[in-house]
Amino acid sequence: MIADYVAAGKVYLVHRDFPLPMHKYGYEAARWLNAAARAGQFQNVEAALYDNQNAWAADGNIEKYVAGAMSSAEFKRVQIQMQGCAYPDAAVKPAAFALGGQTGQSCSLDTYIDQDRALGNKIPVQATPTYVITYKGTRLPAGSGLVSWPILKQFFDSLLSQ
Amino acid sequence: MSNEARRRWGRILLILGRLVLAAIFLFAAGAKMKPQAGMPWTAGSVKTSLSMFAMGVDSYQMLPPWAVSPFARLLPPFELLLGLWLLTGVALRISGLLSTVLICAFIIAMYSAYHRGLTISCGCFGPGAQIGPTDLIRDGLLFLPLALAVTIGAFLIRRKRGAPSLPESAPSVTHAD
Repeated sequence: MIADYVAAGKVYLVHRDFPLPMHKYGYEAARWLNAAARAGQFQNVEAALYDNQNAWAADGNIEKYVAGAMSSAEFKRVQIQMQGCAYPDAAVKPAAFALGGQTGQSCSLDTYIDQDRALGNKIPVQATPTYVITYKGTRLPAGSGLVSWPILKQFFDSLLSQ
Repeated sequence: MSNEARRRWGRILLILGRLVLAAIFLFAAGAKMKPQAGMPWTAGSVKTSLSMFAMGVDSYQMLPPWAVSPFARLLPPFELLLGLWLLTGVALRISGLLSTVLICAFIIAMYSAYHRGLTISCGCFGPGAQIGPTDLIRDGLLFLPLALAVTIGAFLIRRKRGAPSLPESAPSVTHAD
């Protein structure tokens, strides 16, 4: 989709964060992803986090996969964005952290994540994955579940041919 | 209640049942085919709605990819035709039987998705809430018994109509207690 439709300017893909409370490190991963986006590394880090979700979801070592997705110079830029956000020790993180980044530290990235969560609650998001398609300013009913690319492509084509 | 009155009530209930069943299918077809908000009624917008329905069908993960789109394009028009057919009351045994089979298929698909833990929309009446016990109860305890009742009723009425009548000259026994 990104190669054929987003790159061609036919479809805008908007990523929204909706970390769930049952995923212990979900909120922290969202912070890393937002920091990477600010440093222009969104796609690499998103792919790395999806590919290694089982590993970092078990030990909380998200930084390892973020660092592995880019050069050390780029990673330093991401780390600057994460100042005041990274929790010092993933193993002793309070449970409240997973629920909304309440670490007692000021993290500017949380604003974006919390805004996205508020939007998700309005829909409301009830399943993973949830997709919301907006066409000419009109939001279509939210859908959920896996959809194969040929079917999604067919839908985009029918919208674009209107 | 006399036999005649009972028969009349049976016919009335059968008519009501098939009208309700027809309304269900017509509503289901309309919800899937109607243009999305802000779009006019055109062939293109109906095609878009059917493509959106195809995404819902795909999320059930039951059909092979090549079958999803044809199925999604055929089902709503079929529901529309079935609804109209039920409205007319012509060959009710066949339309009732088809309705029963279709509802059974829906229940199996929904149960399968629910059993596999898929958090997807039923798609039965357009986009909506996730599949859950409510959908299964609605289809299993309301729609299926209704379709069955209409089918059985249609067969019973047909059998009564088709029963050979006795000739006038046939011997008869009058019994009084």
